[in-house]
Amino acid sequence: MSNLMDNRKGRQHLLMGNEAIARGALEAGVKVAAGYPGTPSSEIVESLSRVAKEANMYVEWSANEKVAMEVAAAASFAGLRSMCTMKQNGVNVASDFLLHLAGSGTRAGMVIVPCDDPGALSSINEGESRYFARLVEIPLIEPGDFQEAKDMTKWAYELSEEIRNVVMLRSVTRMSHASGNVRFDTLPRDNVKAMFKFDGFILDQMEGLVISAPVDYKHAQQQEKIKKAREIFEECPFNTYTGPDRPELLVITSSACNLYAKEAIEILGLEDRVGLLKLGTTWPLPPNLMKKYLSMTDRVMVIEEVLPFLEENVKVIAAEMASDIGIKRFYGKNDATLPMVGELNPDIVVSGMSRVMGIDYKPVPDDYAQKAQLYATTKSPNRELTFCPGCPHRASFWSIHNAIELDGRKGFVCGDIGCYTMALLPCGFSTLKTVHAMGSGTGLASGFGKLGQFGFDQPVLAVSGDSTFFHTTIPALINAIHNRSNLTLVVLDNSGTAMTGFQPHPGLEKNAMGEEVPAIDIAGVCRAMGARVEVRDPFDLEETRNTLNELMEDEKGVKVLVLRQMCALSPEKKAKKRYEMSIDEEICIGENCGCDRVCTRVFRCPGLVWDKERKVTRIDEVICTGCGVCADICPAGAIKRKEV
Amino acid sequence: MKIYGSKELVEDVISRDMCIGCGACNFLCPYFRPYRGKVAMLFPCDLDKGRCWAYCPKAEVDLEELSKIFYGKAYEGDPLGSYEEIRISRAGPRMMAKGDFQAGGTVSSIVSLALKKGYISSAVLTDRKGILPVPRIVTRPEEVLECSTSKYTAAPTLSAFNQAVKDGYRNIGVVGTPCQVLAVAQMRTNPMEDEGFEDPTGLVLGLFCTWALDYRAFEEFITSRVDVSSIRKVDIPPPPAEIMEVYTDGGAKMEIPLDEVRKLVPETCTYCTDMTSEFADISVGVLEGRPDMNTLIIRTQRGKDIVDEAIKEGYLVVEEMPKKNLEHLRWAAGNKKKRALVKARDAGIVNTSDGKRSLLRLAPKTLEAIIA
Repeated sequence: MSNLMDNRKGRQHLLMGNEAIARGALEAGVKVAAGYPGTPSSEIVESLSRVAKEANMYVEWSANEKVAMEVAAAASFAGLRSMCTMKQNGVNVASDFLLHLAGSGTRAGMVIVPCDDPGALSSINEGESRYFARLVEIPLIEPGDFQEAKDMTKWAYELSEEIRNVVMLRSVTRMSHASGNVRFDTLPRDNVKAMFKFDGFILDQMEGLVISAPVDYKHAQQQEKIKKAREIFEECPFNTYTGPDRPELLVITSSACNLYAKEAIEILGLEDRVGLLKLGTTWPLPPNLMKKYLSMTDRVMVIEEVLPFLEENVKVIAAEMASDIGIKRFYGKNDATLPMVGELNPDIVVSGMSRVMGIDYKPVPDDYAQKAQLYATTKSPNRELTFCPGCPHRASFWSIHNAIELDGRKGFVCGDIGCYTMALLPCGFSTLKTVHAMGSGTGLASGFGKLGQFGFDQPVLAVSGDSTFFHTTIPALINAIHNRSNLTLVVLDNSGTAMTGFQPHPGLEKNAMGEEVPAIDIAGVCRAMGARVEVRDPFDLEETRNTLNELMEDEKGVKVLVLRQMCALSPEKKAKKRYEMSIDEEICIGENCGCDRVCTRVFRCPGLVWDKERKVTRIDEVICTGCGVCADICPAGAIKRKEV
Repeated sequence: MKIYGSKELVEDVISRDMCIGCGACNFLCPYFRPYRGKVAMLFPCDLDKGRCWAYCPKAEVDLEELSKIFYGKAYEGDPLGSYEEIRISRAGPRMMAKGDFQAGGTVSSIVSLALKKGYISSAVLTDRKGILPVPRIVTRPEEVLECSTSKYTAAPTLSAFNQAVKDGYRNIGVVGTPCQVLAVAQMRTNPMEDEGFEDPTGLVLGLFCTWALDYRAFEEFITSRVDVSSIRKVDIPPPPAEIMEVYTDGGAKMEIPLDEVRKLVPETCTYCTDMTSEFADISVGVLEGRPDMNTLIIRTQRGKDIVDEAIKEGYLVVEEMPKKNLEHLRWAAGNKKKRALVKARDAGIVNTSDGKRSLLRLAPKTLEAIIA
């Protein structure tokens, strides 16, 4: 039995922040959860999917975040509590629906959980979801520790039902992925029947139509809801203050920064001089509560990650009540006390706070820092981001790269989001030249492919993973086909949403809950749209490369090459070797003319190791997955494969 | 002579459009590959020197050294190079029975005989797929005729030669254009001083060539005029015809003025000093005014032995070269040599000094004499 279903009140479990959020949802009696995988959010839906049967829930990985939010909203409209999760930029995808949902309002409690990634540890952006709450006028709450992650999630449902609108609970990487002790409440037993009511008065949100129009009426009603939320926030137990009654400095913070701020105050020994206002409800700010604490001192430091969202909101409220509370001196992002890029950590916060407080503090002594820098750059092995041993992407990009080089017309690839984004780097032979949002590779290619009338004559390629294909590549592909663009889309189909932990997607026969579901055939979809479609195994380098060159030379419209080979880490494939690999050291050319270590210098599968002393390549049998591809790149035939 | 590597090859030859796509650097390593008339370097190689550079006929060709090695004398700048005999020839009665040839069929006859009699184990020839020349290794005399027709676009024939060597073939016969023959000559001198090197050639048969066409440019040119899949044969009859003939399915013939076609000649051919494959064992070309005969230049003992055998076996018929034809051939070849050397000198890529790399090297006196 999963810890998450432990129904003994008061029991404590060590939970990851995302698991704590999932437990909060379970304690709130959530019936439907949907999301799109994305670090650092994925474990919420994953945890719920594991207990879905036991908790009588419906849990799905949706095709994209917008659909996930729609699926969750439908449950709310039918009277079931629901949750929707995504990473920060997923909110952008869902935001059109979110704007309208915030306008129409919800029925049963609905909570959306974006998990932001300050510092872009697993992203190519550090987008902010908090601004969306202000933009679409819905309440924003942020847990400041793991217990709160659970408790605030549960509370968010009460709030949502109180104001009859969706609530945003925002997490960040260090909240979602770190772990802490969480004390449990009980799980509810109620059984709710789902029913969508629509026969009531047209403007009755609970029994009439669920729409955001008439806009003047609905928008005004929505703003009443946000006022009500503000009133509730005045008394919210998740806004806490610790410190002296008349602090020299008031620190205002939220989320994981609460932990950094606490640590900084302790390290600097400022418990008696600095007050810490930890806000759980960060938008809209409750004015009376803010007035109370802002009145304590004239100096205010706001500690938050990335953009000065909280800082700006605090400044607005301070300006509005300036005649009562006096003029404040602010420290935060705008005066560069803290950086506006990247995630914070206790060191950064300590150094900011020590400057504000005039304390001479060096988190790390200079000579230690210099030594550390020296050792880090000279003594530690250089470890680049790379594809796993046996990863089909390495083989795919080998062929794509070579096809483009042979073609010789300066072709290029528009990249997309997945493990294969790393093909920007040498591990993917620096093949990708653009990477933006999910599905944008194909959209950009569609545009590039229409520039022929302006003398543009470079072959245009795009790549898309299988999950990305369903997410947002399809509309871009439709656009390209309909508008007679000229491009080659390579679908890197590795049978799963590999980068985020192998979640299922619409192309597979099992869903999030392990049920049998119909798989959507990517090649079939593309054919039906009218593209020329080929399917190949990327481990067949010659055939893949030949096909790519042929497709690039076919300048009549949209061509799709589906490269199908399962991820080396997929549960079905892991630890199963197709070939036993070995090296014939006698014929290995090594560093000499005729090879120059193509396998360990260029191809660079981690399973191939250059033996500096003996000047030959070795196979690292522990990590080699036996895909056999390297045998085909060896110019001497020194890499041997034997069928297992 | 200092040997450079792939970096310099890319710098001097490929990125300056000096590459003719002969195939000499292809398949020696995992990096240089031919594709549709062009050579691509797939990944950078970081070695300072390599066979790619050493074999390339467009990078630091030392004519003095080659002449010394192959003919035991200085490079004299003779328009036709060094040779033993010049004759005119055509396929003999035993070969004639076997099929249809372009011009006199001398090349096919000699290669067939050499294979049959074991002078060579295999032959690297140039077949075609549509209008794309495709290098091919053949081992049986019957296969020779499949590659017999002339190709007018540059071909990476030596990529197949390199593969044949790698596959362990020795005594390889190779039929190539002057640039290809030059590359093979450099290769035969073992410029990298590899231990255990042995000359893998059994016969080098050079073709006459005034220029070749850029494949991609020609493909674009011809596809706008004719359905490529219907092309049976392309021919440029000997002067003074001044046309290219394109034969298509159903016996139709299209004539294209040679002036239009010449626009598709890559710049690199204008730097070529060699019309008659001066470092081959045997060189073969068309004969002006006699579409049924070839010009045959025998340059080495190895070449002479095979020609004699071919005559004896009824594979080849030879006659004396008319004086007028010989004079005209010398005049044409001399012109090509002179034009190319003037151009190279003006471009500052012949006999360079101060560590600057050259296209060609030859004795300054000889250079002066040729371009005078």
